Amino acid sequence: MSTEAERGIADNKPDFDFHGRALDNIFDEYEEILAKRPVGHSEKYGGFWYIAKSEDIFNAEQDPDTFAVGPSMILPSFGTDVPLIPIDIDPPAHSDFRKILLPMFTPMNIKKLEPGMKETARQLAEEVLSSGEVVDVSAKLARPMPTIIFSRLAGYPEEDWPIFDRWIDEIIYERTAKPETAYAAGRELNDYFDRLLDEREKAGPDAAKDDLIAQLMKAEVKGRKLTREELLSYCYLLFLAGLDTTAWAIRSALWYLAGNQKAQQQLRENPDMIPGAAEEFLRTLSPVQAMARTVKTDTVVQGQELKAGERVVLVFGAGNRDPEVYEEPNEIKIDRENNRHLAFGGGIHRCLGSNLGRAEMVIAMEEFLKAVPHFERANDAEPWHGVGPLTLKIGA
Amino acid sequence: MGEIYVDGARCQGHARCWALAPETFEIDEEGYGKVIPGRENSGDELNVRKAIRNCPERAILERSDDEAPAKNEEVATS
Ligand code: HEM
Ligand code: SF4
Repeated sequence: MSTEAERGIADNKPDFDFHGRALDNIFDEYEEILAKRPVGHSEKYGGFWYIAKSEDIFNAEQDPDTFAVGPSMILPSFGTDVPLIPIDIDPPAHSDFRKILLPMFTPMNIKKLEPGMKETARQLAEEVLSSGEVVDVSAKLARPMPTIIFSRLAGYPEEDWPIFDRWIDEIIYERTAKPETAYAAGRELNDYFDRLLDEREKAGPDAAKDDLIAQLMKAEVKGRKLTREELLSYCYLLFLAGLDTTAWAIRSALWYLAGNQKAQQQLRENPDMIPGAAEEFLRTLSPVQAMARTVKTDTVVQGQELKAGERVVLVFGAGNRDPEVYEEPNEIKIDRENNRHLAFGGGIHRCLGSNLGRAEMVIAMEEFLKAVPHFERANDAEPWHGVGPLTLKIGA
Repeated sequence: MGEIYVDGARCQGHARCWALAPETFEIDEEGYGKVIPGRENSGDELNVRKAIRNCPERAILERSDDEAPAKNEEVATS
């Protein structure tokens, strides 16, 4: 057995973090670890090894037997200790759960939602335009758009939408500073879905409804229906995965464009460049900077031993800036062509909502650029990350 | 380049192939990619090369050179 010191834990990167304010300067941190210590140990969140290089992350994702997701991919937890379906489920059970919703998220199916998405984005963009000269576009566009689009797809009643932002803020954004608040909100969210499922059960199967909740309620795994616990876990995860990520993705794209007039004008004049630009924003400013795994059998990455039972964090955001993969990795080039990035993860847990997330991002940018002739940042202190305010000066 | 195909064991349904080269790739009911029958020899077309380079799972392979990911795979350019 090697001692901790021999394994390099003692003098590693004990403060490495990928949440909250740590994200302010994370790109400098990535550059440093990619160059000097592509696998290292942090003391945060109970201790974990981070993996920063693109190739190493790819390999770990292709090897779920060595890098399992249980007990949870989410570190620190999302206000619950219940394993979330399908994100925290390992093979063989994982694919049974995932299969239920795969057909709902194919690009062809997402295409059917596009007219509705366009209409929503157009209305929100026009509201921004009519709200005055200085507007918080996070509150007015980036957050409401996914709430409206995803809630309709999922089947969350419209009268419930106003409370969603608070649950997301408390569960996702306060989970490190105020874990009790996150867990309390987590219980509220769980109770909400418990009530919603009761109501849906009482209403009986409704032929007109083909939303996600209906799909989950009628689905079978191994010849049986999902239990209430399983339904709650799935609903809980979809809520957190489907709303906040996309809001961040839209906000960060607008944040970049507000600070880069040339790129803004280029996309306004050439909307066919928007899908490519979206990929570049996902690569460089992604809402999911990292996800956790647990080592199942001893292994070695970049010469570093990792022991069974240890936690590992795949730092997608660092892999996406790996100089071995991307030319000038820290430059945001909206016309970058080779852009095989890790923003949606990969392997068996590839983001189920990637086609939806992409479509929402692209449509939000298209409609916003079309409606708003010019915009710039009104407050340079607002960070690139998160779903907090993004105040823009809106001009003619 | 020889005939191309999507390796079903690697493909995880990111649909980048279809987004970048819809004339060569189609997506099945569960979201997985495959080469449209008759388009196996389009591996040298620009859009198809882009799809190969952008497939996150490196799942688009060349038949003649089985198991090795199709060309351009490791090139770090942009
Ligand atoms: C731009 C927006 C989004 C980004 C960047 C994103 C990113 C991610 C990432 C990185 C993972 C983990 C993959 C891994 O560890 O390999 C993931 C998983 C997942 N995402 Fe997303 N996501 C986004 C939007 C969405 C949306 C809109 C949904 C809606 C349903 C969604 C549902 C899921 C689900 C269900 C999983 C778990 C898949 C599994 O375990 O099989 N995501 N996402
Ligand atoms: S891009 Fe790759 S992983 Fe995605 S559907 Fe096409 S072949 Fe499959």
